[in-house]
Amino acid sequence: MTGGFQIVVCGGIVPNPLQTLEPITGPSGPALKNEAMLPAVLDPWAWHALFEAANLAKQNPGSKVWLVALAPKAKLQQVVMTIAQKVPFELIAIDGPASGFAESADVAEELAAAIEAIPGLDKSKLLVFGGWESASRGAGTTMQMVGEKLGIVDQFQGVDELKAAPDGSFEVLERIEGGRHQVSTCAGAPALLGWATGNLPEPPNNPQVGMANMRGVMPALQKAKPAKAGANGATYASVALPQQRRATRIVKDTPVEEIAREIAAWIKG
Amino acid sequence: MSLAEQNAADVDRQCMDVDIACVGFGPAMGGFLTTLARGLMNEDGTPAVESATMPGMPPQVICYERADDIGFGVSGVVTRARALRETFPDLNPEEIPLCHPVTEEQLLYLLDPIGASRRPLTVRLADGAIKALKWALPYSDHALRIPFIPGFMEKHDGLLLSLGQFNQWVGNQLMASGTVQVWPSSPVSEPLFEEKKVVGVRLADQGVDKTGAPDAGFMPGMDIKAALTVIGDGPVGPVGRRIDDEIGMPEGNHQHDWAVGMKVVVDLPEGCELKPGTVLHTLGFPEPEIFGFLYVYPGNVAAAGIFVPSWFDNPVRSTYRYMQHWLQHPALWKHLEGATLRSWGAKTIQESGRRGEPHLAGDGFARIGEGSGSTNVLTNSGVDEAWKTGTLLAEGVLELLKDGKPFTKENLEAAYVARRRESWVEQEGRVAEKARDGFQHGFVRGMIGMALAGFTKGHMALGGDGRSPYQRVPTIEEYAKGKLSAEEIETLRKEAHAKGQTLHDAIMDRLGWPAIEYDGKLIVSHQDALLLGGKVQAQPGYADHVVFVYPHLCEECGTKLCAEVCSGQAITVNPEGGVPLFDREKCVHCGACMWNCGSVSPESTERGGIEFRAGAGGLHSAEN
Amino acid sequence: MSKVLVIAFAEQDGSLGKAALEALAAAKQLGGEFCAGVIGEKIDAAADMLAGAGAAKVFGVAGSDFAQPRYASDAAAAEAIAKAAGAEIIVAAGTSRWSRVAAGVAHRLGGQIDTHVTGLAVENDAPVVTRWYYRQRMMAQMTRAARPWVISVDPGSFAAWQGAPGSASIEAVDVTLGDAAKRTQVTGVRTPSSGQQTIRPEADVLFVAGAGWTKKQPDGQFHVAEAEKLILDFVDNAKASLGSSKSLVDQKGEGQAVLTCLSHLNQVGQTGSTPRHPKGLATCCHGEEPHVVGWRFITERRAINLDANCGWAQGKADVLYVADSFAVMEKVNALLAE
Ligand SMILES: Cc1cc2nc3c(=O)[nH]c(=O)nc-3n(C[C@H](O)[C@H](O)[C@H](O)COP(=O)(O)OP(=O)(O)OC[C@H]3O[C@@H](n4cnc5c(N)ncnc54)[C@H](O)[C@@H]3O)c2cc1C
Ligand SMILES: Cc1cc2nc3c(=O)[nH]c(=O)nc-3n(C[C@H](O)[C@H](O)[C@H](O)COP(=O)(O)OP(=O)(O)OC[C@H]3O[C@@H](n4cnc5c(N)ncnc54)[C@H](O)[C@@H]3O)c2cc1C
Ligand code: SF4
Ligand code: SF4
Repeated sequence: MTGGFQIVVCGGIVPNPLQTLEPITGPSGPALKNEAMLPAVLDPWAWHALFEAANLAKQNPGSKVWLVALAPKAKLQQVVMTIAQKVPFELIAIDGPASGFAESADVAEELAAAIEAIPGLDKSKLLVFGGWESASRGAGTTMQMVGEKLGIVDQFQGVDELKAAPDGSFEVLERIEGGRHQVSTCAGAPALLGWATGNLPEPPNNPQVGMANMRGVMPALQKAKPAKAGANGATYASVALPQQRRATRIVKDTPVEEIAREIAAWIKG
Repeated sequence: MSLAEQNAADVDRQCMDVDIACVGFGPAMGGFLTTLARGLMNEDGTPAVESATMPGMPPQVICYERADDIGFGVSGVVTRARALRETFPDLNPEEIPLCHPVTEEQLLYLLDPIGASRRPLTVRLADGAIKALKWALPYSDHALRIPFIPGFMEKHDGLLLSLGQFNQWVGNQLMASGTVQVWPSSPVSEPLFEEKKVVGVRLADQGVDKTGAPDAGFMPGMDIKAALTVIGDGPVGPVGRRIDDEIGMPEGNHQHDWAVGMKVVVDLPEGCELKPGTVLHTLGFPEPEIFGFLYVYPGNVAAAGIFVPSWFDNPVRSTYRYMQHWLQHPALWKHLEGATLRSWGAKTIQESGRRGEPHLAGDGFARIGEGSGSTNVLTNSGVDEAWKTGTLLAEGVLELLKDGKPFTKENLEAAYVARRRESWVEQEGRVAEKARDGFQHGFVRGMIGMALAGFTKGHMALGGDGRSPYQRVPTIEEYAKGKLSAEEIETLRKEAHAKGQTLHDAIMDRLGWPAIEYDGKLIVSHQDALLLGGKVQAQPGYADHVVFVYPHLCEECGTKLCAEVCSGQAITVNPEGGVPLFDREKCVHCGACMWNCGSVSPESTERGGIEFRAGAGGLHSAEN
Repeated sequence: MSKVLVIAFAEQDGSLGKAALEALAAAKQLGGEFCAGVIGEKIDAAADMLAGAGAAKVFGVAGSDFAQPRYASDAAAAEAIAKAAGAEIIVAAGTSRWSRVAAGVAHRLGGQIDTHVTGLAVENDAPVVTRWYYRQRMMAQMTRAARPWVISVDPGSFAAWQGAPGSASIEAVDVTLGDAAKRTQVTGVRTPSSGQQTIRPEADVLFVAGAGWTKKQPDGQFHVAEAEKLILDFVDNAKASLGSSKSLVDQKGEGQAVLTCLSHLNQVGQTGSTPRHPKGLATCCHGEEPHVVGWRFITERRAINLDANCGWAQGKADVLYVADSFAVMEKVNALLAE
């Protein structure tokens, strides 16, 4: 597209997916035990969105990528160091909770305001990217509200592919039921896309990209505005770990035939 | 990689100039960068010295850390925190998660309640004496409480830390200062030499297959050129070792003594009586050579683990299995039964200490931390020592920068090495070295030794005798002599190896160690420890960092020591025979395989059959 | 109880799909009167069904503009219906179509929203919803005082409403779309290439293949082609959904011999899907978090692994068969084919 896209990726941070999580009741509602101690990563689907954004920007000269992140500043700083060598972006940091229990409406409000405040924002070039769900709240509700606040009604969720045409229009594949994809075409920006996995592998670390990103990262963190996001509106009766343990019957030293018979009977039954 | 590919790779290799390139972010680098950062800027925010690569800016200081985050290290930690407190005079333990002042210290001599431990006669006699006199001794749960703590072990003005949390805390402040950058997920593959001068480092190639050949998304590791390269890559760091290969070790110094430390962090059972700040050291069980530690944090959390040293002459050693037996010793199990695993990890500790000191500085480079021989081998403490060496180097570097002097060997010796020789790290390192020399002669000197000498006659040695592991590790047949016949061993070996399994379980079972019964909470399978505890992960796109360089040695190797010892079950015996298999997705980068090879390299008496290179991935737990 | 509205999208033939009938049942569980709204190209059959279920009123937005699942048109239609109904509680099925617009609709109504709801109860005359956080790692029960409140229920969580259609008099809600709402056109649906099996919500059994299928087997060899055949035969014979662990689909990037029948769409777990099936059979996979997170809603779970200490043994499966999946699955396939 001539002049390129302005791609804003919204991405929060979540505990590194292999961490053991436990809920507690904090002063402002439910929270994660030892949340500050857990290593964090950029929300996985937003992570994919960021690669896609960088890739799209590369293919469309003149494009630029921003990453808008709402998270506790100190944790965000650490996460940024693990991603800033991957692809070029300009960070816009908002200092607030990364909790899954923070209301998506509050988060959306902050994200939309931060996007509106981008100097030189041109909505006719604007593509807002994010994950189709977070790995914390797991609701898939934030991005739509960001789009609404920005007045964007071309919205796509569960996106696995975006193909831009030279005239700025694009084709989108969205995940739908049954392992299928819905194919749409959109006349062009502004649009909002909540990404699923996409098709791109994680880019390698590039120290030069890191150095270039860093020029903006620390100032952005220093400028981070405190956010008001919280768990207002919801009243939690309980938050608990699921009852995980089953009484596992271990079948061993048993002939294969017998095992197969048992399984086949179970499948048929 | 073929030569042609290598050349092609070199063509697109990018290069970047910085002022100071740093390798590894452990406590040594924490100390270096914290001290340096404070000195690089004036109070008014202007640079105190100017960058040579970016005029007008403060010096560009970049640190590359191999692990995927800055908090994925493994250590104890109990520390006297002298150097830490010098740097942070107002240090408030409550600001750092899992930090607590030491409140109580105990040293326990564990007897063997099972009868499987390999105890020499003298130790058995001593055990007998303790049992006979137990009514008169501080004895309970098959353990004797040594009534005093040897002075060198005392930490009662010290702190308990989690290395992961501590490194995160330090790193966050550093990065927020904006003066230095720390990049995780960035293994440094080697130093860049011009003759004997180090001119920077090369980062590991990405987008390569297991063998290092270019693959999808190939990106040759970048060359980072710097006037000064600071190496703090720890006990098994490949960059430091590469320098040793290039310029050798100082006369008389060697790194032959090692241990692998393995630990768990647990949520203690409800109602556990252990108080935060409690420090428990153990010796005697599961084998006399194995030391243990248990530290209690606030919030009913504890860290516990063992060290399996290179002088434990057992070719079928599995730190994981020994740790499981140790955790279930009655004196510990009474606290730990019902505990839940939160975190798990393993790492090598360099046990040669001061004796293992390499050249601390040369043209364009300086070395700090455990890889520079700073760890105190009597007490297995290295965090505060490493931190101190970092601060000493930073003081020296600031002095050179301000004087506009280049980072030559001579200047670094005057500005850094001299400071180090004056420091308590050096003095205490020498004391430890002496004490260890004593042990090496079969006398238990030092305080533990004095406490135990009466009943062990020096068999409870604290250290090795300077021989390399390959020189001392016996064959399995020798080890199990009198208990298992060579034929039995051969049958077990064939059975296990045909299934790609190691031998330690089969042998330990035969030697009387009870089978491990999993409780699904703390006593879990090794695989579960990796996933539940270590959260081990590895990104694709990097070459295998554990490389079997001499296939013919592995073909003939009867012990497959590397696979037996592997902390992550990442090295497995190849059912087809020959070179073991390596699965980098399970490797925790403990480095134990590097020094646990039963063979010696045909090229150097200081190296075995494995090359331990720089790799990404590994533990993803920030609590160890 | 507040004013309850059930919103549904009509299928292409004008009827109500299974997920919509489940949402209908969920809304009825709230007790009391409810209204319904239906959106689609043709909506009569769906409206009759809603009337049959007892909807006091049925609002409708129909026409070719509303045939396509598209944000602009669907959001406008749902917003208009909710406003016309004066709805306070809005219940809908969390299909891909509704999930695309639900939060936007809630925002336009000045309301709040919860999605992926798996249980509904009434306490103190207000709904209490059950939903999961952190990718099915913890379960919460919560309520809200604010209205309107949009509740999306997860397909497969409620028994579908069953009953005879009634006859609805549809209150047509007028929604006219400007050009700005038609910048997006849905051009079709891409189905996975033939031979590629997927996770199918209606299947009884989920088969999860783990990385072991492509690893060296005890004989020291790889058996990838054989693995692929065994897996596909089973999926065919048992009419099962095909899922996989992340390790297995990730191998594509690592240049190993891979199972061609799998893509990221098959992945279950932390960063994959969390399907719902009455039964699940895991083979050659370790069964550790976050992998088993994808099994949260599999009712009966069995696993086959060579390793008796496999993670499935730790209270996560109902039965763990310690055996070679290759040998077992070959026999199972033979038995199922009989
Ligand atoms: C189980 C255990 C218990 C211990 N208990 C105690 C205790 O109670 N008290 C105490 O004081 N000490 C203890 N120690 C010792 C202490 O942990 C070490 O001495 C200390 O961590 C050394 O600090 P360092 O900075 O030199 O190295 P490290 O902490 O090892 O840090 C080196 C860093 O370099 C990185 N690195 C390595 N290679 C590369 C590369 N090629 N490229 C980039 N980065 C690289 C590593 O990932 C690592 O982060 C213990 C050690 C172990 C293993
Ligand atoms: C950010 C992130 C997100 C993740 N998200 C997901 C996710 O969404 N989904 C997911 O699945 N994982 C996810 N994981 C990865 C997860 O941690 C595990 O690595 C992965 O699930 C393990 O896959 P596996 O069990 O197939 O493979 P392995 O752990 O390799 O297990 C293979 C098993 O096969 C067995 N086996 C081998 N041969 C045979 C045979 N012939 N018969 C029987 N058994 C045999 C072996 O004993 C072994 O237990 C995620 C990890 C990260 C870091
Ligand atoms: S690396 Fe060493 S210990 Fe391992 S198999 Fe080869 S020779 Fe034996
Ligand atoms: S392969 Fe990895 S985990 Fe195993 S011993 Fe070597 S470094 Fe440790």
